[in-house]
Amino acid sequence: MLSRNEMTSSQKLMVFILAMSLYGISNMFTELIPSVKLGFIELKVEYFMFVPLTLAILFNPLYAALGASFGEVIFGELLLGQFGGLGEVEKFIEFSLAVYIAGLLVSNPSNRRQLALAAYVAIGIDQLLSVIVDIAKVGFGIEDLEAVPGLPESIFVIEGVNFLNTMIVSGTLFTLLPTLYLVPRLYGKIEPLLGMKPRETRVKASFGEFASPRLMLLSILFILIAGTAEFMSEADINFAVWEPEFVEQYGNGVVWASIGAAALVLVATLIFSIRRSARKATHARKL
Amino acid sequence: MNLNQQEPIIEIHGLTFRYPGATDDVLRDVSLTIARGDFIAIAGGNGSGKSTLCKCLNGLIPNYYVGDFSGSLLINGAPAHEQTVSSLSRQVAYVFQDFENQLVRPSVYDEACFAPLNYGYADYRERGERALQLLGLTHLRDKWIWELSGGQKHMVALAGALSLDPDVIVVDEPVAQLDPFHARLIYDKLRILNEVHGKTIIVIEHHTEFIAEYGNTMLLMDRGRIRWVKPVREALNAISELGELHIEPPQVTEAFHRLRERTTPTTQDSPASSRPLYPVTLAQAADWLDDLSLGKDRYQPDHSNSGDDVSSRDKQTHELPQEADSRSGRQPLVRFEQVTYGYKDMARTTAPVLRGVNLTLYEGDRIALIGNNGAGKSTLMRLISGIRKPQQGRVTVCGQITRAVSPEELSDDVAFIFQNPEEMFIEDSIRKDVEYFLKARRIPDYEAFIEDIMVRFRLKELEQRDGRLMSGGQQRRATLAIGLAMRPKIMLLDEPTASLDLASRREMTELLDRLQDRVQTVIVATHDMQLVADWANRVIVMHNGQVALDTDGRTVFECAPLLEQAGLIPPQIVRLSHMAGISPVCLTVEELVARLIERSCKEETAIGSC
Amino acid sequence: MEAVKPSFWDKLSVEQIKIELMRTAYGHANTFLSRFDPRVLVIWYAFFAIAPWFIFNKTVLLGMLALMVVLTYTSRVSTLVLVILAVGLVSDVGYMLFVSFFFGGSLDAIWSLSTLTLKLLVISLASIAVFASMDPEKFSDAMLSLGMPAQFSFGISYGYRMLPILIEEYNNLIYSYRLRGRTPRNKGLLKWRYLVYMGKITVIAFYPLILNTAKRTRTTVEALEVKGFTYAMTSSQAKKLKLAYLRIERHDYLFIAVSVLFVAALFTLGRIFPL
Repeated sequence: MLSRNEMTSSQKLMVFILAMSLYGISNMFTELIPSVKLGFIELKVEYFMFVPLTLAILFNPLYAALGASFGEVIFGELLLGQFGGLGEVEKFIEFSLAVYIAGLLVSNPSNRRQLALAAYVAIGIDQLLSVIVDIAKVGFGIEDLEAVPGLPESIFVIEGVNFLNTMIVSGTLFTLLPTLYLVPRLYGKIEPLLGMKPRETRVKASFGEFASPRLMLLSILFILIAGTAEFMSEADINFAVWEPEFVEQYGNGVVWASIGAAALVLVATLIFSIRRSARKATHARKL
Repeated sequence: MNLNQQEPIIEIHGLTFRYPGATDDVLRDVSLTIARGDFIAIAGGNGSGKSTLCKCLNGLIPNYYVGDFSGSLLINGAPAHEQTVSSLSRQVAYVFQDFENQLVRPSVYDEACFAPLNYGYADYRERGERALQLLGLTHLRDKWIWELSGGQKHMVALAGALSLDPDVIVVDEPVAQLDPFHARLIYDKLRILNEVHGKTIIVIEHHTEFIAEYGNTMLLMDRGRIRWVKPVREALNAISELGELHIEPPQVTEAFHRLRERTTPTTQDSPASSRPLYPVTLAQAADWLDDLSLGKDRYQPDHSNSGDDVSSRDKQTHELPQEADSRSGRQPLVRFEQVTYGYKDMARTTAPVLRGVNLTLYEGDRIALIGNNGAGKSTLMRLISGIRKPQQGRVTVCGQITRAVSPEELSDDVAFIFQNPEEMFIEDSIRKDVEYFLKARRIPDYEAFIEDIMVRFRLKELEQRDGRLMSGGQQRRATLAIGLAMRPKIMLLDEPTASLDLASRREMTELLDRLQDRVQTVIVATHDMQLVADWANRVIVMHNGQVALDTDGRTVFECAPLLEQAGLIPPQIVRLSHMAGISPVCLTVEELVARLIERSCKEETAIGSC
Repeated sequence: MEAVKPSFWDKLSVEQIKIELMRTAYGHANTFLSRFDPRVLVIWYAFFAIAPWFIFNKTVLLGMLALMVVLTYTSRVSTLVLVILAVGLVSDVGYMLFVSFFFGGSLDAIWSLSTLTLKLLVISLASIAVFASMDPEKFSDAMLSLGMPAQFSFGISYGYRMLPILIEEYNNLIYSYRLRGRTPRNKGLLKWRYLVYMGKITVIAFYPLILNTAKRTRTTVEALEVKGFTYAMTSSQAKKLKLAYLRIERHDYLFIAVSVLFVAALFTLGRIFPL
């Protein structure tokens, strides 16, 4: 299952703090890098996704992902007085999910193909989710979007271009290349510094792990939560009296994010499970 | 305290431990009893298992590091392995060597209250306050941790540990990370905690001068085993045995040992037990000077008096026309003209760090830059390296005005070795780090040159390792090699001997000595007065952003008030020569011994002729 | 670009970071909103960050906007922040409009888009007003009290502690690369060679930074263990003690009541005069 590193709770805390500090710093940094705006296309360094991704690959992906997302909120926003409220929560979930899934994908840190795949998966999931959320926001914010000529297409074009732009700039230059540079160098060297053993190279197919029942369960859970939230909001229940824990932790934007993410994860999980069973099927039974 | 002196607080029997994944035992069959109220110093070379032993005491081993653990460990009579880290750490407090990273809260008060808060003490605020008060830190209560100096941070780490009111306090190498002045402050507090509050103190320490002055018992470790546990004075008299483990006895002990060897050569053969114990502290040395009828001012254990009249005489030398002028034949390499530099502070005003500094550094200078924290030493070096530009005035380095050139261009002439070696290791092996500069500049046929440096600095067998994974001494050696491989005219070193044990310090001094034939001038910012005494030919004392004194190594130690003001403590040998009334002061043990013999001969002849 | 370079490095200097940190920590004194219990503020904010999405009545939205403008004003937010916000919003909407023309759109879209803009404005101003009035420590206590894991509030304190140290370390590492490396002599068209070089070292400097931080983290986590942080995560005692000072008092209830009345009045107004 997910216990591939079998870490103690202190080791998880170490990974968490490490990811938090490092990604926090990198985040402060990327916010300071000036961007070049060409109309609605903004050429900028979105983030240093490679930092949490590297840690997610080398250590426990869940704690690396959570640590990094916290790091962004704390170092990049709160401490510098730029906290954006619920918008951060939405980023938090998109980003954690992306790093987590990409980290799980890598079974052998010395395998460059896996690293490359993980890099694009990470940035792809994150960007796709944020595009979905952005579009959903406009769709939701304007009563009858379809009725306004040209506007839906316009939104899709803008979001699409930005998606591609980020995939190329942040994805290739600041995720793929650094990950390929860092992971093999750090593997086996950073672990003793933390008093840990390097993770073992997993021989078993990681896709099996990827499609693990737990993850499936998780995505179903997400859909459930998202669905409930949707239902409650449709039912016009007043937010002020509605379970505050839920509201402040998962805002409305997140509802959309979770639906998107969960659906995506579920679809991916299903695809891989089917493939696996298909592989098995070739042995004996029919598909 | 004497009442329960003998009652054991820690009992260890047959303790053996191995870290997970390691191939060797770190501790081998260790048995030890520590009495309540003792002040015990643990000494031993690198990797002798000192820190590991201490981590057993607060339960980090075996509860946190799950390794191979055998043997028994009783703390306050209860077996440690049956307790949790949290219950043990309430009895045994631990101040890490790397104390900076032990401080996890933003402000002093917050840090002091953190542990009792976590353990759910309702009076956590009072506990924090009490700990601060005990260490005299109340005035720092509302400061941010990053506003503090290294010494203050160490105090705060200690306060955090004290807030749980533990019976035992373990401090891991306080002197290594602090300058002697601040280390002394820490030790003074530890002494109070020991004598007044009855705490059992355990320090890991290889600075024997501190062991002698503050310790009660000394424990010597060697490769995971305990060699012996002895009362301090007796322990430090085992000179040859300590030497085997690269531990240097206090300079006073060394001095009287050599003196006795010279004057009464027969004692060499006689067993150590038959001779009286050498003094291990300055105070004890006073009696010896007395006995040898060698001391002139021997009834002045407080040397500040003698320091005063020395300094009044010294002021004259200091006010003499700059000695530098006699160097006029030599090439000036760096020139500061009315240089002012400051940092912006909260209120957006600029807090001056350097104020109108005028200074010329020449070829052949071996400069020690000394002064307390914030005196402007680091800024001065940063200005030379071009990382910072002067706000007013002008810095000229090798004929270039720094304001007009980038630090990259200046780096052809200037190599800057940072205080923290780990900030210099940018590659994944030492070899690559040393090569980096020449490779980046595409200089052909550098291999032979690099090879020579690697051999010179004894890095050949380490060259494929990452700098971070080496010992402190190896790290410093490597940074020096990196600097030299840049083939600089000027080399700047920030605290090159900080956190090194004495053996590595000595090695570092030797390496610095040998730099001279490749580098035109070397500038070292340091708190290490022994290095100043052994190596520098020019000493610049910075105070409040200005040059307070610019002289040579010997003269500077005669300016006791100025040194005191700058928070600097001269080497013990200098203080001993003050005490013996020798002037100009001696900078090495050998020198002092020679002077003492010389003088006693004179006195004897004088008496004889009478 | 030459002008950008020093200021860019300056911004990352330790001194500058410390100043920024102090400002966020102490810059919240005595605004109108800072008087209230942080938990009340968080929940209050949550309402105004979510509700606008479900409101399509411009009268109500405008009323909310008016409230936010007043509160933002009392929070003494710098005008620069507001200008940036405004420019961002307007240009985003502008681009949408502009691109929509290619797909047969017309200026009529402005009316529809203005609803969206209003919503975004209300939400943004609500967050600016609230979070500019709350220092991070208080916010973290509120979140802790509302059930956020302890790691989060630890992270905030730890951030205050470590940020200057990490920035300094990163800066020194960058200097190690710069002083021992070679900046391209020929900077290329638009200095692209120089930019690529700088981009490269900013990324590869993470190699030593990650390792150095790992070393630090190990001591920190050991210390946390000794100081009972992990112990506190499992016992509720510490949390209770830490949060004992948070108390919802009369003025907090008053604040909630007034807000509820205001929103109710707005809805009524919106029904009578819908825009």
